Amino acid sequence: MTTTQTSASLRRPERPAATGARRPAGRRREGAAWVFLSPWVLGAVLLTLLPMAVSLYLSFTDYDLFNPPSWVGLRNYTQMFTEDPRYWRSVAATLTYVVIAVPLQLALALVVALALKNMKRGKGFYRSAFYAPSLLGASMSIALVWRALFNDGGTVDNLLGTGGWVNRPGWALLAVALLTVWQFGAPMVIFLAGLQQIPAELYEAAAVDGASRWRRFLSVTVPMLSPVIFFNLVLQTIQAFQVFTPAFAVSAGKGGPADSTLFYTLYLYDRGFVASHMGYASAMAWVLLLVIGAVTAVLFRTSRSWVFYAFEGDDR
Amino acid sequence: MPGNTGDRTRTSRASRAAAAAFALCAVLTGCSGAEDEATGTDGTVVLRYTWWGNQDRAARTEAALDLFEKKHPGIEVQTSFSGYDAYKQKLATQAAGGDAPDVMQLDYRMIDQYATGGVLLDLAGPEPQAVLDTSEFDQGLLGTGRIDGRLYAVPQGRGTETVVYDTEQWEAAGVAPPRAGWTWSEWADTMRQLAERTGRPGGTDPGQSEDAFEVWLRGQGKALYTEDGALGFTADDLTRWWTFTDGLRREGAVSAAEQTTQMDGTVENTPLGRGTAVSDYNWDAPCSGFLPLIPSGITLAPTPSGEDGTPGQYFKPSMFMGVAADTAHPEQSARLIDFMLNDPDAAEILGATRGIPVNDAIREDIAAGLTGFDRTMYDFHTSLDGKLDAPPQAPPSGDSALQTTFARDYDQVSYERMSPREAAENYVTHAKAELR
Repeated sequence: MTTTQTSASLRRPERPAATGARRPAGRRREGAAWVFLSPWVLGAVLLTLLPMAVSLYLSFTDYDLFNPPSWVGLRNYTQMFTEDPRYWRSVAATLTYVVIAVPLQLALALVVALALKNMKRGKGFYRSAFYAPSLLGASMSIALVWRALFNDGGTVDNLLGTGGWVNRPGWALLAVALLTVWQFGAPMVIFLAGLQQIPAELYEAAAVDGASRWRRFLSVTVPMLSPVIFFNLVLQTIQAFQVFTPAFAVSAGKGGPADSTLFYTLYLYDRGFVASHMGYASAMAWVLLLVIGAVTAVLFRTSRSWVFYAFEGDDR
Repeated sequence: MPGNTGDRTRTSRASRAAAAAFALCAVLTGCSGAEDEATGTDGTVVLRYTWWGNQDRAARTEAALDLFEKKHPGIEVQTSFSGYDAYKQKLATQAAGGDAPDVMQLDYRMIDQYATGGVLLDLAGPEPQAVLDTSEFDQGLLGTGRIDGRLYAVPQGRGTETVVYDTEQWEAAGVAPPRAGWTWSEWADTMRQLAERTGRPGGTDPGQSEDAFEVWLRGQGKALYTEDGALGFTADDLTRWWTFTDGLRREGAVSAAEQTTQMDGTVENTPLGRGTAVSDYNWDAPCSGFLPLIPSGITLAPTPSGEDGTPGQYFKPSMFMGVAADTAHPEQSARLIDFMLNDPDAAEILGATRGIPVNDAIREDIAAGLTGFDRTMYDFHTSLDGKLDAPPQAPPSGDSALQTTFARDYDQVSYERMSPREAAENYVTHAKAELR
């Protein structure tokens, strides 16, 4: 995603007027830049751009890994939208998950960040402790532990007598969402940094005016923090759409029960690697990319009405 | 001065080229090396052999391969194994990338796809045939690895499905043991009785299993697939099957949806393995995994027949060995297969870990020495010998994906989100698209 940035900085400088046979020094430096960049450029081209182009091509083909791809035009796309009820179940599961997990995670991250902000002693310790799940949580092993916790006869079942969450449609998705919410470390750290940027005078002034704690939170913290909230919201939403590992492990790779945790990427993987329909899976991947792009664009549009940049006015 | 500049340019060009080459090397190291592995430094041939299975099979396979390397000093075998689902996905990716292992274990469901995709070597070709002896094989089973006259894979053993149960619990319930040739309605009554007397479901809900459905279909003279690889049954057939199993589930005679959905191909996660049911419906070879969980012992019973006594059960070639079409060592690869299937010493080590051996002479040789679960399986097969109909031909390519879909669609029924009719219509539509 840093492609645009880097290629912009690489843009050729204005070439000086005719310099004869000698190569301009600027160009030599540019050459050196390319040499140093070559590992990255090769990686980006060979491992990202090229595969993306191939997958775009494959999305218009029928490709089973064994026989050469055969062109089918838009069939994968029409099949996806009109003939595959499981596809729509995966879309529904993903949207439900995004709507539950992202706000919960951000809210928890903000609450913990607020608590840590005013802490006098042990701040470093608690910050690390709350961040730890984010380091651990992405791993397969924690997801497996999660499955055991929420299975029937597991810890949660024994404590609450709710039965195994992972085997009940509706509850299983909640178990996966909780695993994500628990990994609130990254947005928390960003919130914490954002909170520390808010000038103390604002709070003092508000307090002098007799604003309550809650009032100060709503009228000072939230608007001052809104760029950071927005940043976290966009980042976490994009990530949530692509959730894979926890759902894969918690449902033992099946997206069950009754397709209730069959997230988009899980079904994509299933179509590609289990059913060997690489063309169909590629088409799914491109639709996901477009949807994430659209959702992000919508978020940016709404941001105009609620994100407040404190220094906007000074930037004359 | 100009010369000087030229020099500088050359040097910098050279150093630039060197740097670029260096960077390229760094990027590409991950992609090379495959060629060097094929032949060891001292001229020994290195074969890659992959299979799926459990720890027990791994230990026995390694022991057999040690013996192979001793008998053939010029060959070294590198192995890797995993569970079936992971194996299937990894092998497909390797094969697609032109990096299939020299020797690979294959399932009946994979043969068609791999053979028609050009991944497999014809084992009846001159080079492999010189070292691979198939004369003593059960010819019917050997034929299952043949497509269009070419022998793409050789079966390693045969397996069959079974109703496996906890012997002690079944007897304690005072329910009559399954008789040979019992029917599906007798099976259903037995499940009800077991549930009534033990307070837990009699067995696994077989509705999720495409294999069980196949046996039920065969009992009515039908098949999963027609000879030309199209769907061999209608939505009506499937509706009847799912109505039957769903009814039993509602009565509590077979496992609840929350239990059934936990099945992942391992015996540990079946209702019987988890101690929540008295019996299970499974292939026979993996049932060895029940013994550590049920130390008091298990019994293998035949699967139910159709109401008129038509057996649905069949002997299936349980695992195949195939050789990659682009292997650098076809002769040595075939030699490894010959060793695994025809060598008496290897047979003794391997036992029935991949099913009952297909080599008739070997089968008789090892029969007397079989103990434990190998013995149970051997006796089970003997009790069925001569009573079963011929196995169906290899399923079409789309089948391995449909197997998962089948279980998922039944989830919709057992969680009561769809009627059996709705789910069956869904499945049949999907299957037809998959097979076209």
